[in-house]
Amino acid sequence: MIYGFNTFLLLLLVAPIVSLLCVKMKKARALSPIVLVVALLTGAATTGVSFWRGDRLSLDLSRLTPLPFALTVDRLSAFFLLLICAVSVPVVLYSASYIERHYEGLRRDGLWILLPAFIASMVLVVTASTGFAFLFGWELMTLLSAGLIMMEGDAGQRRHNIFIYLLMMHVGAAAVIGAFLLFLPHAPGLTFAAMRTVAAQMPQGMRTAIFLLAFLGFGTKAGIVPLHLWLPRAHPIAPSPVSALMSAVMLKTAVYAFVRFGFDFLGTGPAWWGYLVLAAGAVSGVLGVLYALAENDIKRLLAYSSVENIGIIFMAIGAAMVLRAYGAPSLAALALLAALLHAINHALFKSTLFLGAGSVSDATHTLNMEELGGLLNRMPVTGIAMLVACCSIIGLPLFNGFVGEWLAFRAFLGGSTLPPIAPAIVLPLVAGVLALIGGVAAACFAKLYGVVFLSRPRSEKAEHAREVPVLMQLGVALPAAACVLIGVFPAIVLWPLMTTISELMPGTAMPAQATSIATVLPWLALAVIAIVAVVALVRRTVRVTATWACGQPGLDARMQYSGTALSKPLRKVFSQVYRPDRAVNISPAGQPYFPETISYRSVRTTSFERALYRPAVDAVVAAAHRLRRLQTGNIQVYLLYLFLALVSLLLFMRFL
Amino acid sequence: MKLLLDIVQAVLLVALAPLVRGIVSRIKARIQNRQGASVWRPYSELRKLFAKEDLVPPTASFVFRLSPVLLFAVTVAAAAFIPVLHASALLGTMGDFILLAYLLAFGRFFLMLGAMDGGGAFGGMGASREALVSTLAEAPLLLALTAVAVVARIATLAGIVQWTLQQDFFRLSAVHALAVAALALVAIAETGRIPVDNPTTHLELTMIHESMVLEHSGPSLALIEWASAIKLNVMIALLIALFAPWGMATAFTAAGLAIAIAVYALKVAALAVVLAVVESSVAKLRMYMVPDFLGVACALSILAVVFTAVMR
Repeated sequence: MIYGFNTFLLLLLVAPIVSLLCVKMKKARALSPIVLVVALLTGAATTGVSFWRGDRLSLDLSRLTPLPFALTVDRLSAFFLLLICAVSVPVVLYSASYIERHYEGLRRDGLWILLPAFIASMVLVVTASTGFAFLFGWELMTLLSAGLIMMEGDAGQRRHNIFIYLLMMHVGAAAVIGAFLLFLPHAPGLTFAAMRTVAAQMPQGMRTAIFLLAFLGFGTKAGIVPLHLWLPRAHPIAPSPVSALMSAVMLKTAVYAFVRFGFDFLGTGPAWWGYLVLAAGAVSGVLGVLYALAENDIKRLLAYSSVENIGIIFMAIGAAMVLRAYGAPSLAALALLAALLHAINHALFKSTLFLGAGSVSDATHTLNMEELGGLLNRMPVTGIAMLVACCSIIGLPLFNGFVGEWLAFRAFLGGSTLPPIAPAIVLPLVAGVLALIGGVAAACFAKLYGVVFLSRPRSEKAEHAREVPVLMQLGVALPAAACVLIGVFPAIVLWPLMTTISELMPGTAMPAQATSIATVLPWLALAVIAIVAVVALVRRTVRVTATWACGQPGLDARMQYSGTALSKPLRKVFSQVYRPDRAVNISPAGQPYFPETISYRSVRTTSFERALYRPAVDAVVAAAHRLRRLQTGNIQVYLLYLFLALVSLLLFMRFL
Repeated sequence: MKLLLDIVQAVLLVALAPLVRGIVSRIKARIQNRQGASVWRPYSELRKLFAKEDLVPPTASFVFRLSPVLLFAVTVAAAAFIPVLHASALLGTMGDFILLAYLLAFGRFFLMLGAMDGGGAFGGMGASREALVSTLAEAPLLLALTAVAVVARIATLAGIVQWTLQQDFFRLSAVHALAVAALALVAIAETGRIPVDNPTTHLELTMIHESMVLEHSGPSLALIEWASAIKLNVMIALLIALFAPWGMATAFTAAGLAIAIAVYALKVAALAVVLAVVESSVAKLRMYMVPDFLGVACALSILAVVFTAVMR
């Protein structure tokens, strides 16, 4: 099996080189996606087999590197590796067509070189088994994704957004490095095996510090509120396949790393760790989906919805930590099952949605909902795949999103059986938060689908939209099909997931709740299909006729509800969350009823930007101004600095 | 025998749904000093609609015609969850209340999509308002059901009913009082009755459900109307099953079944009277008062959940 794994890694590393070599040869250009897909399929097959057999693949490259550098694939890694491979295949297929259509010259070559490298960096992150290898992959992942975003262009506002992305990623990376460094005194090589053994013996304060740093670092990468600021900025400006990879897969590497730290290294912690994660997840879920509801740009909406789904995943992880801390391992396993299942589910439907958004912009050259409409009739395959993804993301039964949310509900409900009163109150109440998130998400995606794909086109561009090429259709259809498959037969992923979890938490077995949902869903599907079939037998004569327009000559596209109007009632109810800066300019000022021009502007700066980030940025800038006094420009002063540094280092070494 | 009874009660919930609706309208008419239409009128309306043709706007997609079918299918599936005559149901022994709540959300989502696909202004307006109501109703619905499930220590509806049947009515806890209040408010909102929505209105300023179905006609409209009648019936049956299941058949004897049917009919009639009285005596709320209405439901259901832990 290890040969298969090595072949996979080798092919993945060869892929960018192939792209590089093919720059000059026009005919050979199709080679790079082919190599990449072959690599990913090899990887999926290898990890699949080794996962099934429970092998532990490992590869030690420490002889070639200054610090220990090794890869190990245990069940947890294999699970995430499978996720990466499975989601990347449709994305690469999609890109093969999308990149050719949208980019040329340097940009196209750059994308084909960076894309495999980016996938390889994510593979490195989930398979690394030493701190050095992990951090190397972690940093590479950030830089390569930023590079991929830059391929779309770096003018003005885009550059600012990329800067924010890189800045926040590095603040997060600093926390991650800190978490690893705290292990250093006890586990010098920072191999994961050593970290696992020493973590239990570390003093509680140290463990808490590691946990907090890991939560901060990985939470930034995952997009937990209020560390999500980069997410709605970076995802929408990337090329669509890259947005899909970033949202569907890259965020999951943070989930992987957090589970690795929280469950594998640190093991059982105090209950407040879990409550912290739970609260952060709940806040992310609610705010993420409320912000998503207010967006009219498809990709920004999807980016905020990623914040929401990451919130749901962290809610489940937090519940698992709480339940574990109170000594309920089987319920904790159920919660973790929910978290990992939702991670796969989100990867599947979010890649469909982002790729579908790419197809929409390919066909209409816009992502602004208010200019779209009626695309289902014009792009049937993309439209149906998007419908499936929308049903999945809001958790309708018979689609995959439901299974994960259902397991989470049952885990929260299980909290009521704990003897202490705090979790018995908090966990069942969190079920209400999850229900609220589900409700707002339904409104949000009804708006997205209704405005973009249904009714009449709202602009010329949407009017003349045509279905995208076959490869792009395939890219959205494959993950959408997987959504339905998992939604009706969840057992196919529940069993593998449970083996992963029982490796993390020994002694846990498949919870009865999970078996029951896996039994009931196929029957439910059968019942619904049977009823639909019976109803279809009813004779229905259909006449196509214009919608009645109250006697007026006819309806036009502008008479439909717009996306903004659709979300208005909910935005009004939750106005405390949005608090937009509004400005209405009427000129001339003295005539409100007979104006010549009216302009209206509404800008939403989230309260986090105002209350949290602005002061932090101001403080950093002020500190930098003060530090500037050190820079006198006088060479003698710099020599003095050198001398002082030397002396203090010598003193430090002498007295340490 | 058990399976047969499961099927019979699900079929009854579906088939008698229009009758329940007719009875409510009739009682309402009497309270308002009107003669009122026959209780069978909803059936003749359905028959009339099924005989008509489906008018489809030229700009609509297949979602427009699919949505009534799906709405009907999942609502019927939801009816198979509710124990009516005995403490079991076709899907109620395997599926739990979360699945039930999400099935109802399934139907609602497609109803909203179908409304938007019509291409007129009313569909979007209705969908927008429905989104408001259903979003805010989701949390109290699930929390109230959670509270009951926590007290019964089981999540399937059949299990909860079985547990409740063994309890003494006068010793049911405050949790049940809070949950039934919350659930009743949610049921009013979910089924589009006064004071949240008016099922008989055709005034654009007030309507929610009616404006969503405005572009549908013929068999499609019949399916939607039938589905919403089933939903009302499901909500009534859910309230009865969770909070007053006594009288359900415990053994499969002819006498037991006869009593179960009679008692159930009485309970439905009582709830129909309550609904008619409420609808006749309360004015419809302004739309932006609906969040307050559901906020009360939410507060009640949160209290119910808190009490489950405090009072055990």
